[in-house]
Amino acid sequence: MSVAVELRHISKRFPGVIANKDVSMSVETGTVHALVGENGAGKSTVMKILYGMQRPDGGEILVNGKSVHFKNPNDAIDASIGMVHQHFMLADNFTVLENIILGSEPKRGITIDFAAARKKVVEMAAQYGLDIDPDILVEELGVGARQRVEILKVLYRGARILIFDEPTAVLVPQEVDDLFNALEGLRAEGMAIIFISHKLDEVLRVADDVTVVRAGSTVAEVKSKDVTARQLAELMVGSELPQPTTHGDTRRPEITLALKDVSIPTKSGSRDLISHITFNLHAGEVVGIAGVEGNGQAELVEAIMGLRDYTGDIEFSGTNINELNVAHRRDLGIGLIPEDRQRQAMMMESPLWENRILGHQRGKPVMRGFVLDKKTTIADTRAIMAEFDVRAPGPTTLAAALSGGNQQKFIVGREMSKAPSLLVASHPTRGVDVGAQGAIWEELRRAREKGMAILLISADLEELIGMSDRLLVMLRGTITLEITDSTKTTPEQLGSAMTGAE
Amino acid sequence: MKVKTLKTLRYATMLVFVLAVIRQITGASDLTSVGTASAALLLSVPIFLAGLGGLFSERAGVVNIGLEGMMIMGAWAGGMIGYKHGPWLGLVAAVIFGGLGALLHAIATITFGVDHVVSGVAINIIAAGLVRYLSTILYKSGSWLGPSQSPDAQSISTNGLPVLSGGKYFGWKSPDFLNYVAEKHWFFISDAAAILRGITGDLSYVTVVAVILIPLSLFILWKTSFGLRLRSAGEAPIAAESLGVNVYLMKYAGVLISGALAGLGGGFLALVAANHYQENQVAGRGYIGLAALLFGNYRPGGILLGAGLFGFADALQLRDSASVHALILLIVFVLSVLVVRDLRKKNFKKAALTMVFAALSLWYFLAVKELPGQLVTMTPYIATLLIMSLASQRLRMPAADGIPYRRGGLR
Repeated sequence: MSVAVELRHISKRFPGVIANKDVSMSVETGTVHALVGENGAGKSTVMKILYGMQRPDGGEILVNGKSVHFKNPNDAIDASIGMVHQHFMLADNFTVLENIILGSEPKRGITIDFAAARKKVVEMAAQYGLDIDPDILVEELGVGARQRVEILKVLYRGARILIFDEPTAVLVPQEVDDLFNALEGLRAEGMAIIFISHKLDEVLRVADDVTVVRAGSTVAEVKSKDVTARQLAELMVGSELPQPTTHGDTRRPEITLALKDVSIPTKSGSRDLISHITFNLHAGEVVGIAGVEGNGQAELVEAIMGLRDYTGDIEFSGTNINELNVAHRRDLGIGLIPEDRQRQAMMMESPLWENRILGHQRGKPVMRGFVLDKKTTIADTRAIMAEFDVRAPGPTTLAAALSGGNQQKFIVGREMSKAPSLLVASHPTRGVDVGAQGAIWEELRRAREKGMAILLISADLEELIGMSDRLLVMLRGTITLEITDSTKTTPEQLGSAMTGAE
Repeated sequence: MKVKTLKTLRYATMLVFVLAVIRQITGASDLTSVGTASAALLLSVPIFLAGLGGLFSERAGVVNIGLEGMMIMGAWAGGMIGYKHGPWLGLVAAVIFGGLGALLHAIATITFGVDHVVSGVAINIIAAGLVRYLSTILYKSGSWLGPSQSPDAQSISTNGLPVLSGGKYFGWKSPDFLNYVAEKHWFFISDAAAILRGITGDLSYVTVVAVILIPLSLFILWKTSFGLRLRSAGEAPIAAESLGVNVYLMKYAGVLISGALAGLGGGFLALVAANHYQENQVAGRGYIGLAALLFGNYRPGGILLGAGLFGFADALQLRDSASVHALILLIVFVLSVLVVRDLRKKNFKKAALTMVFAALSLWYFLAVKELPGQLVTMTPYIATLLIMSLASQRLRMPAADGIPYRRGGLR
């Protein structure tokens, strides 16, 4: 076996951030080589450099032993490198064939030789087991088939070195199996495959070698058969994995939030969305709501925040807040981390400082009288970013440019900035990387110790059990079980309680 | 392709038959006369050229509201050069001036990322003002007779299909068979012959060029790699970029071709439909071309159909307002066909609504003997509106049409 691609000490800095400090890896032909790392560790940047989309500041790229300098993706394609993008690069209104040949069309005279192209594509599809109809419009294809088109696209250009950027992120399990079978075939054909992912179980399943990057540097290059997922995860984070735990009992006597017989009836008169919910939440206490999604958790949050009409009473620090709207409730000191950060918590196409304003548009530091105080807001945004370790160039960066973990840390920071006495945290660590997860847990721990009451909704049972003092299990809109000491339960027991099995 | 051609032929025959029946009922002889068909073609061509121009631009992902302005520039340049250096050079100038307008649009939208509609509207306003300004200078210098009209140019010669529709070939005068049949006043046969004679006889050579542009555009856009790349710029520019397609170049090419065609359309108005440039000659035809483009669902054949419908309505109102009255009966018929179609699809709500419209139209046809003049003049515009509302349901525009594109979208 020979080395297909070698990266030596690649470095790349962008204004404000160092994306790559020192990344090295060596990929052999006929192997699947995984590149793993947390979001923001520099995986994508190094692959964009290898694919000619960006130029490195330092270091060396060798393809088949020869040093190369790519100015654009065309150079990389000429060097037989192909990229299967995470977000498909396909024209929906084109046929599969048109999508594949675009940019390197076979010609006969001045026309495109569609017949020759079709023949070649059909042959390739058969050879690599990538089943596809070349004359169908891409818009009619499912996700798995679209990915096959992407793979055929790079193979059509003669790629021998294939980069897969988080290819399983969009696939359902069955499609993942198909993809892995295809990868198996490509490996057998002597291709070198670079597989970027942070799903470690998949990495161990498909890869021969694993390179781990952390904070822009290669920290390890290992054989996948020699490591466990946990070891890889610890290499990625650089320390032991964070544990969702709290210490001691910080519960104070005063009740921050009290729900009395809260129900949300449906207009159609069928079963209530939530029904007769009653519980107290003390200051300094974390109450976890466990339940399979869609059993009323979202509605419960909306009732507490005043986003939905309900019957019954909700009291906050002893006063009834039934008549208060969302803004007034927030003014009283209720903070919210919504479950879907991109749709409910951020304006993706706006800079961070504008996102800082959301939910805080009625007072300092954002407003000065009736006018927006942009300068202070930006300064305050910068402070939040520093305190909560939000990795982004600055307050004017667009929210969309941040990784999910950094977005979530920013949202947590924004809610904490007002020091609310109640925080409703809906899936606070969903879809974030291990590092951000640990950071968010740490913030919740600190807030709890300072006396904040936290209502935690999560689908991650270890998080629920570890972070909560008390657990409430929701099933079909009602609380079916209360576990007063969360340390006395296991994920298995909780799981069966959530499904209603005894 | 052959199946499609047969289908088109069948629909065309059916339409002519319906027109013949309506002519018979109403006695509006101009509905299917040689003169109407000929005028309809003459009025369709500029709209078709504008629509085809729009096709190239929008397929490359640039919305081109500026077609109107590019036509104005083409018409003016056609008149200006045409009377001095002959009509053919005038047309060349029209193409170049239309292209200049397009270059402005391309620089604004592609290089500087200006909103496409804003840039297009600006070009329409600038073009109208600019040509007026230039005309005034020419008038002051004494070479023009007025600030709103250029001197007359020579006209471009015409010809017809040999044997079938007259014309002259190398000094031989061809017989005019279709006209002979048309004058026999046989039901349907004479109607069909008259329409064919109208669109094949006394043709300007420029019209022939315009017709050739249909297969040429189809070929370029769907059979060559240039066409595939140009369309990819309008469908998925970032994907195209990732495959090494120069998206900026494709967009520039699309917009420039667009302006050249719109300019040719303007030149046609000045030098073929008339024999001089006149202010307000374009009169919204750029916009109607855009409507034809939408009606044709971004395909050359569809644009031709849209332009043809508008040209027909326009020709009818210009020649004989009595025939416009007969046109209402045609609308009743078309709506009835739609009712049947909707009933078959079990779309009862829509069928009922269409039936109400059909009934109202029929009532209006029977109640009113002659349409008021204002309404007659409006006919082509009403027809455009009606057609648009019927056609817009199955619209498929290029996916990235009108979205500003920046290189480096990959990063």
